[in-house]
Amino acid sequence: MLHLLLDLDPPTFFNGDNGSPALILKIVLAFLVGIGLIFALMAAPLRLRRFIVVAVTFLSGLYYFLLWFFPAPISRGPTDAPNGPLESFSFLIADAVPSVVNVSNILSAVLIGLGIYSLLRIHLGRIVKQQKDWAFSLVLVVSLFTVAFFGYWDWIIRQGPTGGSLGAVPNDKWSFPLYAKDFFFEGFLQQMDSAMFSLIAFYILSAAYRAFRARSVEATILLLSALIVILASMGLIQSNWDNTIDATHIGFLKNIRLEDMRTWLNGTMQAASIRGLDFGVGVGLLAMALRLWLSLEPLGRES
Amino acid sequence: MSDTVAPKSFGDKLQSLPRTWLFLILLLAASVPLFVPIALPNAPSQSSEDFFANVMSLKAGDKVLVASDWTKSTRGESGGECEALLRMLIRKKIKIAMYSSGDPQAPQVFRDTIGEIAKDELDHGEAPYQQFQDYVVCGYFPNAEGTALGINNNLRGVFAGKKDSPPNGSPQDIFNSPVFQGVNSVSDFKYLIMITASNTERVTFERVKKTPLMFMVTGVMTPEDNVYYLSGQLKGLIGGVKGVFDLEQMMEKGLNVPGGVSAPRFGPVPGFPGKHNVGRGTSYYFALHACLALLILAIFAGNLGVWLSRRGARS
Amino acid sequence: MGIGDQYRDTGWFGILFVIVIVAFILFNILRAKGGKELFIRRIPGLNSIDEAVGRATELGKPVLMVPGMSDPINAKAMQAINIFSHVARIAARFANPILYCCSSASVYTVSQEVIRDVYQQEGLADRYDLDSVRFISDRQFAFAAGVAGILLREQIASCFFMGEFYAESLIFAETANRVGAIQVASSTELTQTPFFIAACDYVLIGDEFYAASAYLTRQPVLVGSLVGQDWCKLALVVFVALGAIFNSVAMQGTTTQEWSKGKLKQIPKRSIQQGDTLLSRLLNPDPDPDIKVNRSKRRPDELPQPVKDSGGGRA
Repeated sequence: MLHLLLDLDPPTFFNGDNGSPALILKIVLAFLVGIGLIFALMAAPLRLRRFIVVAVTFLSGLYYFLLWFFPAPISRGPTDAPNGPLESFSFLIADAVPSVVNVSNILSAVLIGLGIYSLLRIHLGRIVKQQKDWAFSLVLVVSLFTVAFFGYWDWIIRQGPTGGSLGAVPNDKWSFPLYAKDFFFEGFLQQMDSAMFSLIAFYILSAAYRAFRARSVEATILLLSALIVILASMGLIQSNWDNTIDATHIGFLKNIRLEDMRTWLNGTMQAASIRGLDFGVGVGLLAMALRLWLSLEPLGRES
Repeated sequence: MSDTVAPKSFGDKLQSLPRTWLFLILLLAASVPLFVPIALPNAPSQSSEDFFANVMSLKAGDKVLVASDWTKSTRGESGGECEALLRMLIRKKIKIAMYSSGDPQAPQVFRDTIGEIAKDELDHGEAPYQQFQDYVVCGYFPNAEGTALGINNNLRGVFAGKKDSPPNGSPQDIFNSPVFQGVNSVSDFKYLIMITASNTERVTFERVKKTPLMFMVTGVMTPEDNVYYLSGQLKGLIGGVKGVFDLEQMMEKGLNVPGGVSAPRFGPVPGFPGKHNVGRGTSYYFALHACLALLILAIFAGNLGVWLSRRGARS
Repeated sequence: MGIGDQYRDTGWFGILFVIVIVAFILFNILRAKGGKELFIRRIPGLNSIDEAVGRATELGKPVLMVPGMSDPINAKAMQAINIFSHVARIAARFANPILYCCSSASVYTVSQEVIRDVYQQEGLADRYDLDSVRFISDRQFAFAAGVAGILLREQIASCFFMGEFYAESLIFAETANRVGAIQVASSTELTQTPFFIAACDYVLIGDEFYAASAYLTRQPVLVGSLVGQDWCKLALVVFVALGAIFNSVAMQGTTTQEWSKGKLKQIPKRSIQQGDTLLSRLLNPDPDPDIKVNRSKRRPDELPQPVKDSGGGRA
């Protein structure tokens, strides 16, 4: 395995031991240098800025392009060294995946900061100015900080020497922050997520009631197919219907066994149409990605 | 302009039933059956049979990579899937490495679930199944595409630096765990089993090629993933509450054994008769029936309304 | 070992096919840039954009745009942003307020830039409200709750849901339906498209989503790319049709040889199965796991060591 700048091991100038002050100092320095680079980019002339953006976009895309198209190392053992320059390059590309993933993870983390800034700007402003519905904003801001605080406190305790013995479910070894985090995570967040998800059942019912009307031939075919699939999902009806048909021993009736009709609809009609749509979507996505990679996309510009 | 409005005909009323009433009836249809334990007949789907047979073919000490990308929002479906899978893996003494690339909450939800199931299985006479010794939680990876690619190309590189806690100890490098002994590549895991309620299943499917894949997805996702099962690219697929019920039924009765589920494609695959096999699938299947029946009734009412209105207009 | 062996894991056919369709797209982009007039058909769903924004203007209420749940930003979100830049441009001309809700910080950042640019290009920078593009939450259902809340509180008149939508699609669509908003929607997730069709006024299906920006702006690059996409789809149709015919014919015969793990074995005569056909072998490379390459080994000090503990950790 090759050593890359962002690998955790061995510690080079660019990294450090997990959790060490040296590593934290380097993270802070890197963050500051990053911000400096952003300001430098903003101050650069438009033409230079555009060139830099196009070049960085191309190079970033080039990595994944090479990963897919460049011959991959075959039958590689964990301690193998590359044979010649071609393999050295293919080893390098393969080994760089975790580092490239780290880069995009770090970018996502920094961008989350921007998102939170947007949230706080809107909601703190609303609270300070006591605008309409400011109480909702207050709930949002308080929840944001409370959950983050107890989540982090719980994490620190679990990283400590007794972390492994604390267990996932409440027990007598738990202290206040663990209970508090469990209360907010399990008691609040997860339950509210469930409540939102369960709303879909109600909306499916009302949307199906409104939409499934046999107003035309196509709509009637859709309605009948839906009915067959729904009935076949109900074991009680499906097994009684199918057993009755099996008991008649009439070959022709086997065509209307619910399970067989459902399998035919799913496997022949539905799968084929999903594949067709998937091909179109895949090609569209490829074209879009290509335009972005080569900076051909006129993003937000018309004429 | 006149203010008087012609009274609605019965057909029109059927076409515009009040939403509140529909919702109330659905609430009853979804909740009342949960308190009425009724054993319903069911024929497991082929994809569920494949999934069950493949998991049951694993041997003690085999390793499985589990991608758990669900949270409590989909616990009705994914929770049941995860619990049934864990019961099977724990009873067969399979070692599990878990990661998530779908949701930062997922590792915590998985920890809670496996903690509860392992304790329940211990109480029901199974051997202890311990964190770090038997399973490791590798954590959350934010970039699903990159993570899947990395897992396929360089598994140890992606999981480097991750820690998990042995019982009664501080967190250690996951590579010190028995789960990762002899694991250099994703192909050292017998299967990658993904329990997901998000698009990570396709992200993974498109990138991980070096080990066979099996998915446990929600009911809505089943048609799309069925495409890959039909083409043979997925070795097994569990979809929604029905999939969980299929699995629980096979765990109890076995596959192709006397009194079990008949599937001539397989040899005899005994289940775990008499053990704690009843889970969310069995509990929710009747509720699913009631909700689907209500859906059919509502659609029927709407169409009857259309028909009556048309007939009224013609006459 | 030849260079072809290096592609044994992925197979060379997939890579060649991708190169061909990439060439189709790039060739047509060049053709369109060279001034060639290319025809694209009308997409009814997109004609409704002006109508939807006009309606919001009449009612004096905001237009809501949601570019899906992509996190981090990807090509699907970029396409949604592209379409929304057109919607924002019309809204800016009509001096209509907009609300733009993002579930990902990276989508939020790019959207903020693009929408601000649109207002500046129109010379209407003073009409741009910095708070109109918002980050709501990257939690799926927190985002759904946030957007549903905005729909109800602001009594939105027109909604545009485009991009990667999952389970929240129906929550948005039904809530918007409740407030009587006109809805134009498209999900790149095929399982969600039926929900949008059931509840929205206009839906872009499948790759119409990717055709939208070409149709709306008529930029040569986009129109060329769209025509290139059609060539690709044609190639796929031809390939599928030929594959069906070729395999059907090939499977009529018998064989005494079988390919397994990259090796040809002699077997007793049997009828040809799907896995024996040339096309199947091209698309499903089954590499020989026993191929060994002689390489020198790295010294132990060159190999990664387990991460040292120094206080912190990642779990």
